[in-house]
Amino acid sequence: MGLQMFVNALLLGGLYALMGIGFSLQWGISGIINLSYGAMVLLGSYLSLIIFNMFHIDPFISMLFTGALLFLLGAFIYRFALQPLLKGGIVFTLIVTFAIRLIVENIILLVWSADYRTIRVSYAGSNFQFLGAFFPLTKFLTFLVAGVIIYLTYQFMTNTKIGKGIQAVALDKEGAMAVGVDDQKMYLINFALGTALGGVTGTLWATIYSFSPHVMDVIIGRVFIIAILGGLGNIWGAAAGGILLAFVETSGAIFVGSHWQEAIGLVIMVLVLLLRPHGLIGKKFFG
Amino acid sequence: MVTQDDNKFNKNIILIIAAVIIFIFLPNFISGYYIRIFTAIFMYATISQCINLMSGYMGYLPFGHVMFFGIGAYMSAILMKLGLPVFIAIPMACLSAIIVSIILGFPVLRLRGHYFAIATIGMNGAIMTVVQNATEITGGARGTTFPIIMASPDVVYRYFYLAMLFLMVITSLVMYVVVNSKFGYGIRSIKANEDAANSMGINTTFTKVTTWAIAALFTSIAGGIYGYWMSFIAPDEVFDLMFITNSIIMMLIGGAGTILGPIFGAFIVETVSEVAWSGFMQYHLAALGIATIVIVFFVPRGVIGTITDKIRNRRIELSKKAEVTNG
Repeated sequence: MGLQMFVNALLLGGLYALMGIGFSLQWGISGIINLSYGAMVLLGSYLSLIIFNMFHIDPFISMLFTGALLFLLGAFIYRFALQPLLKGGIVFTLIVTFAIRLIVENIILLVWSADYRTIRVSYAGSNFQFLGAFFPLTKFLTFLVAGVIIYLTYQFMTNTKIGKGIQAVALDKEGAMAVGVDDQKMYLINFALGTALGGVTGTLWATIYSFSPHVMDVIIGRVFIIAILGGLGNIWGAAAGGILLAFVETSGAIFVGSHWQEAIGLVIMVLVLLLRPHGLIGKKFFG
Repeated sequence: MVTQDDNKFNKNIILIIAAVIIFIFLPNFISGYYIRIFTAIFMYATISQCINLMSGYMGYLPFGHVMFFGIGAYMSAILMKLGLPVFIAIPMACLSAIIVSIILGFPVLRLRGHYFAIATIGMNGAIMTVVQNATEITGGARGTTFPIIMASPDVVYRYFYLAMLFLMVITSLVMYVVVNSKFGYGIRSIKANEDAANSMGINTTFTKVTTWAIAALFTSIAGGIYGYWMSFIAPDEVFDLMFITNSIIMMLIGGAGTILGPIFGAFIVETVSEVAWSGFMQYHLAALGIATIVIVFFVPRGVIGTITDKIRNRRIELSKKAEVTNG
């Protein structure tokens, strides 16, 4: 029982980690609290649903396509809706991202209605046993894929020229500009990357859970907690935050009752904000 | 120069009093549907006024401020179920909201910018979950009811219309007095530069907590009246962040950092969203979103802010011209 709980929490945590990283990058590096993030995640789910229904392409393959599409959408949103407003401060970007969320929600409601949808791949029901614990195959696959994507994101951020540029801008904007880094381009790529990660998470999410426009608020609540727990803009921090939240929720549901699990997460988030504003994992800034 | 300003000031006061008197007698001439819309407008103007004090004047965006709305509504409901009359229940509810705001304010107001906004959202969620799960006291997720008023609906709606109207007027007056007092200059100095304000001898912690308590006071009264007006409340309804996002949009449209701004904003937004609801039901969310983006892009200072800017620029131009001709 204990082992099974551990496995469940870990598999859920992989998805949470991937979901939190996109939001954390957008907030920590581009400086935008993206209230439309939940909508972007769901857009990923619904896009893969279309692809699955029309072309019968497996979500684990179509996630490349949804990721690319949401990358473009994120770049578009940043360039035309957010970049002109950056000087206005937090109120403007919050309100505009909320407005984008409303528009996307309306589109989803019109096209797919408020019903719950699922993507049932042929191997959805199968699972395997390892060390006495059950591993549902789809959950295990999402965990693996999430891990690979997180690793690739980290490699991108540390080993490519653009990734290094993004980090430089995040660390010291003026200094980076002085050595010839185009700061707005870096913010744009970073924001688009965050949106893409959200979309990929949505696709993976769709293979396990059912989804409806209602899930948007749940996602936003989760990613706030994950980003704060890990420290903003910190990839491994957000990954750890996601896994931690999954463990807190799973054990909270067992020991205190499932209706309290949301409150537990939020209380931990507020405490971390007050006591360790740079996140549970140490440093003031990564880089 | 002084007399001219005084004259202008008196004229404004007369205009405002006239507007209030018109609104007091308005229910005699309009149908129940419009009375309901106006009541909602007054309520939103009150909440928006509180957000304005926190965000427009002090620079702290309380995104989860709706928790005081919910506390006000729920405490009034609980106390009135115990048999207290409404005129005692709502003040007591608002007292509890003030106590909560002070207890939460000391730790949370140390956070700045994004972090403050997010921490208040977290607290709102936590309080909502507590209300949802304390089933014996609050009725849980199914919500709770207020005692039914024994009068015809027509009279009841007018009663709430007047209550919300007076709440809005009193809130605006208090905000005006607060903002233009010495304390108000402290509030504004926090927005301009908190560290500098601190080193100039302003007790920033005291100022911030008191300001939040003032904002919580009026928001919780609005919550209490709203609950009694609806006569049924549920946690996910009175703790809904939509109240705050709407209020922020109203503040932005009217003009942040002005007293009349939130009131005008509430009128504009409620009218637009009412038209959106009745006109294109299916697209009303998108319509609201697009309207918001358009407003943020083209009238970022709000209606009142843009007008006062124009007047100020015109005055500067006129005085320059006068100088040129005199010189």
